[in-house]
Amino acid sequence: MKELPKAIEERVQHMLPADLLHDLRTPLGHILGYSELLIEQVQEAGHEEFVPYLEKIRTAGRQLLEMMKDNFQGVRPPGGES
Amino acid sequence: MPRILLIEDNELNRDMLSRRLQRKGYEVLIAVDGQRGVAMAQSEVPDLILMDMSLPVIDGWEATRRLKAAGETKHIPVIALTAHAMSTDRDKAMEAGCDDYDTKPIELPRLLGKMEALIGGGEKTSDSEEGA
Repeated sequence: MKELPKAIEERVQHMLPADLLHDLRTPLGHILGYSELLIEQVQEAGHEEFVPYLEKIRTAGRQLLEMMKDNFQGVRPPGGES
Repeated sequence: MPRILLIEDNELNRDMLSRRLQRKGYEVLIAVDGQRGVAMAQSEVPDLILMDMSLPVIDGWEATRRLKAAGETKHIPVIALTAHAMSTDRDKAMEAGCDDYDTKPIELPRLLGKMEALIGGGEKTSDSEEGA
């Protein structure tokens, strides 16, 4: 399991895990979704030179998602739901 | 062209997912809360509903229960979308009447597979021939 930096870890400990995970997943979804959409569109427009940069954004987003899954899988506040 | 009703309160999620689905050949209708979503499902009778569960006014679980209790909408497949990945969230969505469940961030090929399993595929358009 990958480790979070100490400062982030301490801050995270004061938040409700499920809320934190939810709050992180939403903007991360925007990063992943729009980067994938842009990759498709710039390829169609013939601007292949931009694709590697957009792929770096997508890859970084996926790495962040995997870190979140590794560190927060299965956590939620007592009695919490959505 | 299959008609999808996307019920989602987050503006960027709506914009992103509707654009991506349109590129795959789906017509996308939009509602921004559970109450409006139920009303639009009743008036438009879409082929499938993508239901965010954390919605204002009435949440996705209650909206799904209402849709599945109404004769004119109970046949419409509902896929629940949530930012939580717990198995209990999936169980709760299925108990409300959802036909399937997916988690955010959306992985489009995975979601399309679930949609196609319920209603068949979208129509390829001239700008949707790219790899996902």
